[in-house]
Order: sequence, then structure tokens, then C-alpha cells
Amino acid sequence: MSFDNKKLLAVKDLATTFHTAGGDLPAVGGVSFDMESNQTIGIVGESGSGKTVLSRTIMGLQQRTNVTVTGSVLLSGFEMVGASEDEKRERWGTEVAMIFQDPMTSLNPVMKVGKQIDETLRVRLGMSKADAKARAIELLELVGIPSPQYRYDAYPGQLSGGMRQRVVIAISLACSPKLLLADEPTTGLDVTIQAQILNLLEELKERLEMSVILVTHDLGVVATRTSRIIVMYAGRIVEIGSTREVFAHHRMPYTRALLESSPKVSNASHTRLTTIPGRPPNLLKLTQGCSFAPRCSYATEKCHVDRPELEAADEPGHMFACWNPLPKTRRTVKK
Amino acid sequence: MLRYVLRRIVMLIAICFIISVGSFYLIHLLPGNITTVIEGPGASPENQAKLYKLLGLNKPIYQQYFVWIGNVLRGNLGTSFISQTSVASTIRAALPIDLEIMFLSQILAFATAIPIAMRSARKPDGWLDRTFSAGSFTLLSVPTFIVIVLMVLFISVKLGVPHTGPSSYVSFSQDWIGNLESLALPAVALAIGSFVVYYRVLRSDLIATLQEEFITMARSKGLSQRRIMWRHAFRPSSVALLGAAGVNIGGLLASGFVVQYLLNIPGLGYTLISAINMSDYLLVQGIVLVVSVGVVLINFIFDFIINIVDPRISRE
Ligand SMILES: Nc1ncnc2c1ncn2[C@@H]1O[C@H](COP(=O)(O)OP(=O)(O)O)[C@@H](O)[C@H]1O
Ligand SMILES: [Mg+2]
Repeated sequence: MSFDNKKLLAVKDLATTFHTAGGDLPAVGGVSFDMESNQTIGIVGESGSGKTVLSRTIMGLQQRTNVTVTGSVLLSGFEMVGASEDEKRERWGTEVAMIFQDPMTSLNPVMKVGKQIDETLRVRLGMSKADAKARAIELLELVGIPSPQYRYDAYPGQLSGGMRQRVVIAISLACSPKLLLADEPTTGLDVTIQAQILNLLEELKERLEMSVILVTHDLGVVATRTSRIIVMYAGRIVEIGSTREVFAHHRMPYTRALLESSPKVSNASHTRLTTIPGRPPNLLKLTQGCSFAPRCSYATEKCHVDRPELEAADEPGHMFACWNPLPKTRRTVKK
Repeated sequence: MLRYVLRRIVMLIAICFIISVGSFYLIHLLPGNITTVIEGPGASPENQAKLYKLLGLNKPIYQQYFVWIGNVLRGNLGTSFISQTSVASTIRAALPIDLEIMFLSQILAFATAIPIAMRSARKPDGWLDRTFSAGSFTLLSVPTFIVIVLMVLFISVKLGVPHTGPSSYVSFSQDWIGNLESLALPAVALAIGSFVVYYRVLRSDLIATLQEEFITMARSKGLSQRRIMWRHAFRPSSVALLGAAGVNIGGLLASGFVVQYLLNIPGLGYTLISAINMSDYLLVQGIVLVVSVGVVLINFIFDFIINIVDPRISRE
């Protein structure tokens, strides 16, 4: 166990259930994985597969009402599940920080962006007003915002989506977190800005020696930027492995469907997006079987009644959950 | 922002113009000869002639308006035939009392409504929230004059607390402690009505704001709950509060008038009611004019504050 404690992040049997009017909704249904320092891993899955809930649960940001979290999240050895708000607050920003999906809503609309950066510096790092301002301007510069002294006094409404997301990144980096959770950091932005932001994150990760969890619904985004990929479906991991292995030797039909449906970052606007036929399952009415079975052309009787657990593939660390996996041959994905 | 303010100022001037026309016309609506209306039935012919000339009554009505507004802008609202004192000086003596009552009541209302709404919104459906939500809902339907009558009955009559009953008004220059004591009841009574509105408006906006993503973001920065409430949630939630406060001023003045009348406090309300009773029309006209312009000005100021609080508004 002492080995586990040295891990940056160890998630075990993590489950998040919302108690809704329609019944219990298992948005995350038993997720386990871990992560070393200085890694970038990707979490991919269609929208609704539980990526956001998973990242927020790892952060411990879930509200206390109407939600139950079980399992364990060890962050540098500290158990986040069940920790008090005070204990978590100590780690937020410094140990782990988050970039939210929508830069249009994640900044305070009536506070100057500079103030939103330097309040973190003042509150968390105890900097003086002048130091914090100077550092905030440095951070704005670091994330590639032109004329940062001038932008310091801008309100979020005066900035474009890409600029806002840069500000959000600057805020999340303010206290040099060890782990950065980026929840679809580029989804709302146009393609050229997407690439810029992703490249910026990659560069900052190297420069600041962070680890990054990059959450996206687009496999194209994670292809070149991550060392490992977690594929999620209906709140569970259905395939996990090194990025190379998942792209070349994926075994789960859902992973293939996802790969075929993802546009390439470079030519997204010209590529027709093929979507996966069918719809993600209603989480309130999950069956005993594999949740992808209703949409899967390989599904057999067994798939509908018995849920496959993750099992090891050939390469160490590569696992998939499927009764009828794709053959072991190397494959290239048609684009 | 500047363009927005300029546009607002133009509108303000337009509204003040309409108000002045209305107040000017008020006198002409009354039956009978204007000089009799203004100077009373027993006015001497030479006084009537003087007034005739002063008001330019031989000229067409729009010119009369300009003569009148010229006087008003120079601070001359005419001289009451009943008290033989200038209307402007009567208003100058009474107005500070209204302002003081309003000021005290608003300080009280904000100082209680804001922290209680903050605590309520932090734990909606907690005991504090339930108590104040239910309590404020009940009070919402009770008019201020009932509150003041009950307070007088209970506090000054039953408990016999000194300086709180009717006719116990003490002026500020005489004795400022006595003055505060004598205005305590009306201030509290008016504050209760405002509190109910402010508390409810702020609470519901805070609850909505706390659902916003930027609040989760603020939490994820590791800021304290207190800081999140005051620095992040309060300001974007206070637009409707300020709007309500601006609108509330009119109603507050009216309630203030009733309270002054009930407790014999010689503010504008009291003066207005006695002026009406004594058919002192010039005084009525002056008070109507001053009060209307005052309400419009206060609304203008609140509007301005809202724009500073939420810069998104003027940018649209
Ligand atoms: N606060 C909540 N209450 C109830 N259900 C929720 C809540 N948040 C998310 N969900 C549900 O959890 C599932 C996963 O959502 P999410 O994590 O946002 O997906 P993703 O980020 O992969 O698009 C969805 O079915 C969503 O409706
Ligand atoms: Mg999401």
C-alpha cells in the first residue's frame, strides 16, 4: 500500500449516484484507475457518459445534497472522498485544480479578470496586493493573452471565448497545482482556437511539471497529447490502456465507434461527423447487461444479461470490458 | 457607459419636464378663478392684480408655464396665502424629516436583510431560511400603517416607552438623541416593510447565483465560503435588490406620509395632508413637485448604481 500512497492519484471503485425525482441515477458506476506524476491521461466518451461527474467527484466538488459518493480518491495519499470542505479547500488550487467546460459561465461576470486571478494568489499564497497583481499579469502573459496589463482590468464579457478560457487556465495555474483536471477545455471554441489552447496546455504542463487529465468527447484531441486513455460509457470504464495501444489494438466495439465518429482536429470543419447509431442508455433504467449492448452490432444474448468486467488485454495496463471483443489484429481507423 | 449615462440624463430631464407640466396644470384644474384659488376668497383686488402679473395670467398658457418654471428654477414656489410664508421655506423645513426617516429605515432594512438573506441562501430550507421565508411572506401582506398602529399600541401605550407616542417629535437641532428616539418607531415600521421585500428578492437571486458555474469555479480555487458569498455571489445577485429598492422609494414615501400623519411628525407628508385640508394649493403644488422630482432622482441614482454593480447592463 505504501507504493500506492506515492501515486499522484489513485481512484478506486469510485461511484457517484444522484438521488433524483425519477430515482437513483448512477452517473459514475465504479471507476478505478491510477496515475503517476508528470503524465497526461485522457478521459473520453460520448456526451452524457459521466466524464464531468467523474472529474468533479475526483475534485470533491460535488454538492452535499442529493448525491452519494462511494469508493476512494487518493490524491497524493490523501483521501478526498468524505473529506471535510476545509480539508478539501486546502488542496484545491494547490494540489488539484480544474478547468471547466464552458468559459462563458465559469468566470464571474461582474469581477475584473485580473481580480479573479489575484484573489487566489492573495488568499491561498498570502501575497501582497502589489505582488499578486504583478504575478496575475505574469500569468496572463504566460497563457498568451496580449497586452496583459490592459486585460487585467477587463470584465469577462469583454473577452472572446478563447481569451476567457485562457483566463480560466491562468486561474487554475495560479497556485501551481500538481494535477490539472481539464474538462473539455476547448469544446465551445472554434477549431483554430481549440488547437491553440490544447497546445498551450501541453506546453504549460511540460514547463510547470504538472500532470493533466484531459477530458473530451473527441478522441482526435487526445491522440497525440496523452500517454494513456480511459474510454467511458454510461459511467463506467469500458477500455483503458496506453494511447498507442487503444488506437492500434482497441478491443471494445464502442471504442471503435468513438474513433470512427471523431473528427480530426486538423480538418474538423471538412470532415463529416459520423455519429454512433442509437442513443446512450437512460441511467435510471440500466440493465444487468453491458450498457452498450443495445447499440452494438456484435452483441449476443449474454451481452444483454451479464455485464462484462474489465479484463486484461495483451499489453500490460490495457484492459477492456467486452464479451465479444474485436480480434487482436492491428487496425487503422478509417477517417 | 458614458453614452448610457447621457441617455439616462436626457430621459431624466424629459421626465422632470413632464412632472413640472403636471404640477403646473394641477392648479388650473381647480374650479374658479386662479387668483382666488391661490390667494383665498378674501384676497384684496390689488393682491389679485399683483399675482395676475406675477403669473402672467394675461398671457397664453404655455407662456404662463415658462414664467412659472422660471420662478421654480430660481427656488421661488410662491407664498402661501394661509401661512403667509414662502412655500419653498416650508418645504425646506419639512423635507429633512422625511429624508431622515427614509435614511434610518433603509439603513435598518439593508443591514438586516442582506446578512439574513445570505445565511438563508447558504442553506435553503434550513431552519433560518424557513423561519424568515414564512415570516416575510406573512408580513408582505400587512400594510405599514397597520404595523405602525400596532407598534404604537404595544410599545408606547402598553409598555409606555417614552418619546415614542404620537406628538412626541423632537427636532434634531433641539436634541439629537430625543430626535432619534422620536423617529425610532416610524423608522422601524418602514424598515419592516422594506426588509420583507429586500430579503425575499436577494434570497431568491442568491440561490440562483449559487447554482452558477462560476461559484463552483470559485470553490475550486480554494476560497472560503464567506469570501465566495460576499465577493462572488453577492454582487451579481444584488441587481434586483437595487431595482426593488429604487421602486420601493415611492411606496416608502407614501407609507412615511401616513406614519407622519398618525404620529404628528411635521415632515412633508404631514404638511401635505394639512395643506390639503386647508386648501393651501400652492403648498400642495410645491410638495407634489418636490416629491415627484425627488422620487425620479432617487430612481436615477439607483439605476446608476446598478450599472456600476453589474457592468453587463450598460454594455448591452
Ligand atoms: N446534478 C445532477 N443531477 C442529476 N443527474 C446528473 C447531475 N449531473 C449530471 N447528471 C447526469 O449524469 C450523467 C453524466 O453526465 P456528465 O458527467 O455531465 O456527462 P459528460 O460530461 O460525459 O457529458 C448524465 O446522464 C447527466 O444527466
Ligand atoms: Mg461534460
